[in-house]
Amino acid sequence: MVRGDATGPIVQVRRRVRAGAEQIFDLWTKLDLMVRWMSPYPGAVDCKASCDLRPGGAFSLVMSSEESSREVSGTYVEIDRPRKLVFTWIGPLTNNVNTLVTVELDPRGDETDLVLTHERLPTPAIREGHTMGWGHILDHLADAVAKGF
Amino acid sequence: MIEIEARKGAASRTARLDAVFAALADPTRRAIIERLSRSEARVTEVAEPFHMSLNAVSKHIRVLEASGVVERHRKGRDHILSINTRSLDEVDGWIERIRRYWEVRLDAMERLLRELKKDHKLGPKDRKHGSR
Repeated sequence: MVRGDATGPIVQVRRRVRAGAEQIFDLWTKLDLMVRWMSPYPGAVDCKASCDLRPGGAFSLVMSSEESSREVSGTYVEIDRPRKLVFTWIGPLTNNVNTLVTVELDPRGDETDLVLTHERLPTPAIREGHTMGWGHILDHLADAVAKGF
Repeated sequence: MIEIEARKGAASRTARLDAVFAALADPTRRAIIERLSRSEARVTEVAEPFHMSLNAVSKHIRVLEASGVVERHRKGRDHILSINTRSLDEVDGWIERIRRYWEVRLDAMERLLRELKKDHKLGPKDRKHGSR
């Protein structure tokens, strides 16, 4: 889902996952598990991660292939196992602009509802060529720019 | 060949996005875009509200033109500025790529969960799924 509202454009993805919230939280925060699914580069032969799991602590994920190396990194903002994880996120995907990712986990019996929100995207969401909502978008840009550029 | 072309396309798209983000990084330039989002305008009209020289505003306008966010055409003796929504649509496409990125990552996360479940199949906790 992509939408623009008073807080600017955000990307939100929802999933019902067949696992407990604790286990999912561990996948996001334990090094040996992080490297097994977070790498988006199929050509990567090596994936190294570091994570200092405390508010203000940093994480990074470096994926290298024979040709190149890419890195995503960020800082933990909020750690509330197993319900909520908030971290800043910077990498090639975000054009090396600092953005904010929130992962919320809501247990539903044997399953867990996962909501991932990616915000502070420095991007004007223009719908069908209309320029409505520019005021909000520009406010938001100012915020993203102040933090990231 | 196709792969090289695709890579070139991606590289120039990234370069264009960089130019757009750089253009949007300045408060004066964002104010100019906000003005032009209401309607096209002459250079002098755009410059009017700013407490800076026409020359200084013109420099900002040139950055916006170079990034492709703002276009200029002539009407008689006037230079008219307008927003090029196409350049912003491309940025919008970038947002869509971010959504897809997370969808694919979460797919990978769920695959790993299934693998881990298989590994623990004989564990006492998993008797509910023992028949699978």
